[in-house]
Order: sequence, then C-alpha cells, then structure tokens
Amino acid sequence: MKSRDQEYKEIFIAEALEYYDALNRHISDLEKSPEDEQLLAEIFRLLHNLKANAKAIGYVSIADVSHKLETAFGLIRNKELNFSDEVVTVLFDGIDMLGEMITNIDSPKEVEPSPALLRNLDIIVNSISENTAELSKVQKYYTSKNLSLSDLIYIQIKKLDHLLNLVGELIIDRDRIVSISKELDNEDLKNVSAHLYRITDELQYSVMDARLVNVGSLFNKFPRIVRDIAVAEKKEINLEISGQDIQIDRNILQIITDSLLHLMRNAISHGIEKADMRKKLKKTPQGNVFLSAQNDRDTVILKLTDDGKGIDQQEVRKAIVQRGFLPAEAAEDLRESEVLSYLFEPGFSLAKEVTEVSGRGVGLDVVKNAIDSIGGRIRVDSKKGEGTTFTLFLPTSIAVKGALLCQVEENFYAIPLMHTDSVVALPSVELHEVGDLLVADINGETITIVYLKELFNSELHEYSGKKSKLEGDVQNIIIVTYNNRKLGLIVDKLLRQQDIVIKALSKPVNTIEIYAGVTLLGSGKVCLVLDVAAITRYFIARR
Amino acid sequence: MESQNIRDKKEAAVEVKVHLIVFKLGTEEYGVRIDQVKEVTITPEITRMPKTPSFIKGVSNIRGDIIAIMDLEERFNIERSTAGTQSKHTYTLVMEAKDYTMGFIVREVPQSLSLPVSSIDKAPSFIQDININENFIEGIGKIDDRLIIVLDIYKILTSEEIMELKS
Repeated sequence: MKSRDQEYKEIFIAEALEYYDALNRHISDLEKSPEDEQLLAEIFRLLHNLKANAKAIGYVSIADVSHKLETAFGLIRNKELNFSDEVVTVLFDGIDMLGEMITNIDSPKEVEPSPALLRNLDIIVNSISENTAELSKVQKYYTSKNLSLSDLIYIQIKKLDHLLNLVGELIIDRDRIVSISKELDNEDLKNVSAHLYRITDELQYSVMDARLVNVGSLFNKFPRIVRDIAVAEKKEINLEISGQDIQIDRNILQIITDSLLHLMRNAISHGIEKADMRKKLKKTPQGNVFLSAQNDRDTVILKLTDDGKGIDQQEVRKAIVQRGFLPAEAAEDLRESEVLSYLFEPGFSLAKEVTEVSGRGVGLDVVKNAIDSIGGRIRVDSKKGEGTTFTLFLPTSIAVKGALLCQVEENFYAIPLMHTDSVVALPSVELHEVGDLLVADINGETITIVYLKELFNSELHEYSGKKSKLEGDVQNIIIVTYNNRKLGLIVDKLLRQQDIVIKALSKPVNTIEIYAGVTLLGSGKVCLVLDVAAITRYFIARR
Repeated sequence: MESQNIRDKKEAAVEVKVHLIVFKLGTEEYGVRIDQVKEVTITPEITRMPKTPSFIKGVSNIRGDIIAIMDLEERFNIERSTAGTQSKHTYTLVMEAKDYTMGFIVREVPQSLSLPVSSIDKAPSFIQDININENFIEGIGKIDDRLIIVLDIYKILTSEEIMELKS
C-alpha cells in the first residue's frame, strides 16, 4: 500500500498539471481578448489554488512562482499593469516554467526556477512604471517541449459502477460454467473453466480495487468541521484521527458521510460537556474525540469515541416506556446493550426528554438506515459519565458479500455474514415455549428462536413457535445479530459459506420486507437473501 | 420486424389489424397485444417466495433477470380446466410494463393471431364478471367461432393489489 504522502503527492501533481493545462489555454485566449474579465478571474483562481496546494504539500518554489504570477495577474485585473507584449512574454515564460517544475517534481533533474525569470516577474510586478527595458531575455533551457499526459485519470464513479455490475453478472455466469464443467467431467472444459475462474477473480479484484479510496479522504475533512462545530458550541475539542490509510469502496464512504458527520455533531454538541463542567468532573478541559478506522478481513470498522457525559441508561429506559415501545417491567428487564439499541428506533428521537438528557437520539434512525442500506452494522457503547462510542461495521466493497447459505424446505436462502453471529446445533429439548415464541439459553443469553419453516408457511401475525411443530431431535440454528440484538433462526439444513452478488428484487416483489434481495447460485438456482434487519425488527417488536 | 411493419402499414390501408398472443385460462381464450409481450418461454424453475400471495408463484431466472411469476388463473379465480391436452410443460409469457417485467404462467402453447380491430368489441359494461375486474378487459374479440377476451396487461401489472404486496 502506498503511503499517504505519496498518494497526496500524486493527486497534487495530477491536479497541478490540469491547472497548468487550463492556464495555458486561458492565457492564449486572453492574449486574443485581453479585456475578458472572466478569463482573468479564472486564471487568477487557478494560480491561487495552485499556490495554496503547492504550499500545503511543501513545494515552495512552485508556490513562489505561482504567487508571483498571481500578483501579476492581480495587477492586470486591477488595470495597474498593461497586458503588453513584453508582459505577455514574461507571463508565458512564467507559466511554462511552472509546467516544467510540476512535471519534474521528484525527478532527478528537478527544475529550479530560472533567476532571470523570477527577476523579470519582479520587475513587471514592482515597476508599475513603463520601464520594461530592464526585462532580460530569459534563457529558455527547456526549449524542446515534450508533450506528456498525466499518469492519473479522473473517471466518473458511474462508469466504475457499471463495470462492477458487469463483473457481478460475469461472476454469476462463471460459477455456472464451473459447475456445469464439473457435471460434464470433460478435462478441456475443466481446464478452461479453472482459468476463467482465476481471470474473473482477478478482474473482480481489480475493479473493486479501482473503486477503493482512503478513509482519509473523508476523515481529513473532519479537523475543520470539528473546529467549526466546537466554535459554534463554545467548546474546546481535541480531535485525534487514526487509520486514514484504510481503504474502502468510494460509494460506501459516500453513503456514510452524512451519518458520520451527524454522529460527530452529536458527540460534540451533546456528548462533550462544557469546559467548566469538565473541570469539576476532573476531566481535561478540552473534550477528546477519537475517530479511527481499522480493517478486519472484509470489514472496515470505523469508531467514533468521545469522553463526554455518556448516555444515561435509566433515562433511556424511561423514554422507552414513555414512547410506548415497551411496558415498564419489560423495559427494566432489558440488557444494557439492548437498551441502547432503542436509540436507533424511528420516532425515538422525538422524545424531547431523551434528546436533552442523554443528548442523543436525533435522527439516529436515519444513520442506521444509511448503514443498513449498504449491509453494514452499527453499535453503540456508552458509560454514563465516561463517554460514548459508536462503532460502524462496513463492508469494504458493495458488490460481493460473504453469506451463509441454508435450506428451508426446497428453497435456498442466503444470510449475509455481516449479520451472522454463530451457528449452533441445539437439542430440541433445550428450546422452550414462552408465549407463542421459542426461546433458548445460548451461552448464557436468552435468545428468541424463530422457526423459519413455520414463519414462511404462516401469516406473519399468526406465527407461533410451538415445539410440537419442530422436526428432528436437533435443530440447526443460525444466530444473527442486528442492532445489538440477537435472534436465532432454525433452518432445515446448513449448506455452506459463499461469496454472493446481491441483486435487488424487481417490482412488484421488491416490497416484501423479509428479503434483502436475490442472488443466483452457480447452479443457476435462484436464492433469496434474507433481510436479517427486517426479521429481527419484527420479532423484537413482537416481544 | 422491419418487414412486419411494412406489411402492417400496407394492410392498414385495407383494414387495421391487431396482433395478439392468445392463450387459455380455464376453458376460455384470452389474448394480449403482442407488443406487450417480451417473450414466450417454457416456464423455468420457479423459486417459491414465502410471504407473497398465492397467485405469485415465486421468482425465476430468465436470461439473468430475476422476475416474479404470476398465475393468472389463481389471480382471477378461474377454475383450471382438467380437460384437453395436459402437456408436460407450462409456458411463461414475459410481459413488460414501464418499469418492470413480470411473467405469467399459461398451460398451453400460446398462439399468435391477427384479427381486425373491428372484430373487437369494447368490453360491454354489462360484463360484471366477478372474477376478472372488467378494468383489465380491453375488449372481446370474435373470429370465426372463437371468442377471445383481450386483456389490458398494463392494468394488471399496475393494479394496486400487486403493487401493494407487503409482508
């Protein structure tokens, strides 16, 4: 992986070359119509940006030449300097010089600005008089202009999306061919399909790789944002960022941008206490906020931690009851992790008491929906008085997801690994009927167990889990997690783990909540992808 | 296609004809305009989709597109005919609406048929068929001794009942 500096440098060079091209274009136009204010303004803007970028990344000489040119164009704009032939020559030389310097950044023959040229620039800038006689002829030692194109290209994300979709389809067909070749047992076909397998794998990897960007491209916007929020809230914030190098699909980063901003805003305005309050609590007067990214196989984990006042569980429990989500006794029995998960319920944010007391809940359901939509997970941990951590588990890439395949009756179903916790085989006797639901004690946790076969064959509101309906002495249960809550799903058969490409269901069957989409298996068989979020939501609401 | 159009135009001077795909539901013959039909295929394997109404048989993979398959006989409560040729396969008419595609199962090979527009009566208002809402019926076509119920498939595809599938 390239270092961050190297990447910034490449981006700078690509941008600078683009600026250089634009400058060349504009100044040629300007020569023809020197009165064009818009052109002047554009040239001025380009030079200004170039100066700022060069300075930021430490190319002082480029910044210096840009600055001088900028000043000259500023004078021309203010009509203090005539756009005369001599001046034009100097300016052209100056821009050529910039181009030369940019192309040769980091190359062994790094170009220093020619002193003669710098002097000429100084002269036209400083001697506003008509005295241009002093202009010396700039020695062009870079006479042979070599045209070159940038090594970086910009590409519309739409084109990459299309490419990725095509690769997705290709992979489905490839899997099909591979399984046919196994059936036919033909050596040649086997060899070709094995080769096809490798190539498409690499192709997919390359396309996905082309879409990856550094998390830093989002994270690096935060220091400024945090500063602004902190100023508005009259708080002092110390922001620490780590893991900018972690790579993630550009679209996923785009989708969570608003969510992360939202969480950050919440953390600063509601989480972190005012300085005097913090002193009383023996905390540092500046609030500390940590934003980090790390990799865990196919998952990128973003964490936003603050050391503010945290979330008061009792207040949340009260709000759960007040908002009518649960009766009081049930709310008292909730586990801590479950209590916090109610923060993500739509409508929970409307509870004004909660917003003020715990400082959370504003639009967290929106954050959650955004993360659900890309198949991610969000978790919140908080200790009253110590702070809050939001953890976002995001897939590295949109298209291909690991999934667990299972069978219920004659159908295959896929459950994204993002939502699976564990798989257990439980003797039927260890399942218990509580009301019309089955529950089991698994590793010390009481978990609601759903019999998928029954769920699929009955009206949703008529579903009842009765032990008498179970078949066999041992049940295969997939434990899924969603929003800090666990649910067990009884399946007829566990099949295997597989990477799948999820397609959206098309109308009119796209409104059925329990499906997140559909995928084609290598055999050409259609496999429905279960929406763990929707199923869990339903059963949690029911309990 | 081109020559078809030209031929159509020539005939238009004589008499405007409608080209239908005709299929049997129960004991009656039904037709849909050929331009609404994307393709006719032997029904592929259907994956049952729990939590949908029974007339949605499931989803199928038709050339890489996953589309929902509907049984019109069940949809309209038409009693299935036991008489006649019982072929091994059923057929699926793939129909295209504006923003989606759907398949309809028919039990016998659909036929193509041209009949003059003049031989199609607009659906008479007295057909208060309990099973098929008259809205779906575009008209009744008569040719020789046959009576063909011409369906307006767009109305079936957009009918609220289908659109409001919910779990």
